[in-house]
Amino acid sequence: MGESHPIGTKTILIVDDEALLRFDLVDFFEAAGWRVFDAEDADQAIIILEERKEIRVVLTDVQMPGSLDGLKLAHYIRDRFPPTILYIASGHVPLREDELPAHATFLPKPFDPNRLLCQLEMVIE
Amino acid sequence: MSASTTLLDQLKTLVNADRRSGLPGYAVATLFIAAVAFTQLSLFGSSAPWFLYTPAVVVIALLLGGGAGVWATILSALGAGYAASRPDLPLFLTPVHWGASIFFIATTLALVGLVVALRTALLQTEVLRRQREEDFVASVEREAFLAGVLASSTDCIKVLDLDGQLTFMSEGGQRVMEVSDFNAIAGCPWPDFWQEQGYVEARAAIEAAKRGEARSFVGKADTMAGTPKWWHVAVSPIFGADREPDRILSVSRDISELRASEEERDNFLRLAENSTDFIGMAGTDRQIFYLNAAARRMVGLERTDAASLTIGDFFAPDQAQFVEETVLPAVAGDGSWSGELNFRHFATGEAVPVLYSVFPIRDAAGGLIGYGTVTRDFRDRKRAEDDMRLMNGELAHRLKNVLAVVQSVAQQTLRNATDIEIASHDLSARLVALAAATDVLTQASWRSADLRTLAEQALAPHGRIGDTIRIGGPSMTLKPEIAVAFALALHELATNAVKYGALSVPGGTVTLCWTINRGVEDVGFDLVWEERGGPPVTPPEHKGFGSKLIERSLRSYFRGRSETDYRPEGLIFQLHARLKDAAINTGN
Repeated sequence: MGESHPIGTKTILIVDDEALLRFDLVDFFEAAGWRVFDAEDADQAIIILEERKEIRVVLTDVQMPGSLDGLKLAHYIRDRFPPTILYIASGHVPLREDELPAHATFLPKPFDPNRLLCQLEMVIE
Repeated sequence: MSASTTLLDQLKTLVNADRRSGLPGYAVATLFIAAVAFTQLSLFGSSAPWFLYTPAVVVIALLLGGGAGVWATILSALGAGYAASRPDLPLFLTPVHWGASIFFIATTLALVGLVVALRTALLQTEVLRRQREEDFVASVEREAFLAGVLASSTDCIKVLDLDGQLTFMSEGGQRVMEVSDFNAIAGCPWPDFWQEQGYVEARAAIEAAKRGEARSFVGKADTMAGTPKWWHVAVSPIFGADREPDRILSVSRDISELRASEEERDNFLRLAENSTDFIGMAGTDRQIFYLNAAARRMVGLERTDAASLTIGDFFAPDQAQFVEETVLPAVAGDGSWSGELNFRHFATGEAVPVLYSVFPIRDAAGGLIGYGTVTRDFRDRKRAEDDMRLMNGELAHRLKNVLAVVQSVAQQTLRNATDIEIASHDLSARLVALAAATDVLTQASWRSADLRTLAEQALAPHGRIGDTIRIGGPSMTLKPEIAVAFALALHELATNAVKYGALSVPGGTVTLCWTINRGVEDVGFDLVWEERGGPPVTPPEHKGFGSKLIERSLRSYFRGRSETDYRPEGLIFQLHARLKDAAINTGN
């Protein structure tokens, strides 16, 4: 749940129960000048999203403990916060298109954070 | 006696040899009497005219019968009357001659009667004798026939008395029973030859025969030479003149070979019945006529009669059509078909994956009489394949996760690095620590990781375990998702200790210990890393990957609290979590 300098619309929530990966991404996006929130499960993520309406991008892992997995969280976010840009990452085989919420992008793990950053900055600007 | 017998025999021979009768007999009698008359006339004239006739009539009556005798008597009376006649007399004969003639006729006829009786008796004796002779021959032949039948029968035919004791055994029976001397077993109780159930059956059969009933049974008995054999035995009463059972007939047939072939057939049946494969047979009309137990189990037909089913009933409609149109014609043509199909479970309707193998069943002449199948249950194999697919998927997932962790460790190591050489060295050491943690996990199939083992693996490269590094705590198994981060954290703590802390000087020690504490609500897990004997400690100005990892990652993984205390006399790191968040289960 780290929070950093607010800069424009570059606000991202990273949801992953694997803390090693989560903190790496937190550090990476912060270094790139993003405002970063992080959550270790879907419940935490929903609380943060309710509080921080400015979050534009959510990057979530699929396999997570708790009441919702990443995919269900993504669907919830698409319904509850429709404009959110969604990225769904998993080490499992690619999810089927119809399993994903609309306008969500699947990222096979491990992914290149630099490429993700390029894509995001193009989408946002 | 012998003289009269001889005379009788001679007479018999005469009587029987001379069978002339009827007209030729009368002619012979006439000629004979004429010859006697001539002799009498020429030798004796009119004196004693009847004298020669009597023996002649006796001979004629004896040899030619009563008719010829009476005829000869009449001719003799006429001949003798003619010899004694006198033409001057009004009645040709004197009254004395008349009287003598009448007397002659009467006595001679009486004599003829006697001779005829003798002749008849002699003839009858001969007939009776011949008949007796014929009867004797016939009875000898019949006896020989019966004896031949008994002797040539390969059945063991025995006669027992009402007590069940052997009184007779046929020759053929002695051969099959391998009896060398019947006298040795004559009088022995017959049931004693039987074993086990056969003894009981034999006793019962004798009791039944005594009541006049016939019985049969199958039993086992050794021959006298000790050859074990199976017999089919028919026991029946032999009725005496009073129509009551008098003796008992027992006919045993050696059925050992039949029995052996039955056993062989039974063995084949057992082979099929005990097979764990689905074994079934159907006629050319597709009607099922045999299913083994495994087959019934496999498709849920334990309590259903399969006789009304056809081959198609075992499949879902699409596959039934395939079997009918493709499989069975292929079997009839090429001789066999094998492939993966799904049976339909009759009770639940679920598909049962099988390796279906079908072959034709042909009669001795090679004509197709049906279809046989030995079908393997592929459920386990399918399950194993599914498991394998799952495992492969899981393995790929883990591999990618490990790669993601490696990626993140590499990025965090390199992100703030100022010296490539140092960064490279740090990264290598961290990857080694990762590998060690992976080893511990792999040994437990990624299900758990023993805390002590994990600690020893992570710390061993940095000091001597039990000497400069002391490890202590109750046996405990960490959750697998925690293990890698925990091993990395220990690695970072040890690396710092070697660089700046207690392990950087001789005599310095590190103690890693953990405890399990039962609190009011939860069971707590406390872990302490304590350094002693090192140089004075000062808090670092900049927190690197290691420090961040130790503090925030560990806190996150354990869902607990962590604290690093840079005491001048030695660093202390403490972690507190709920046991259930850290461990899978605890040992004693």
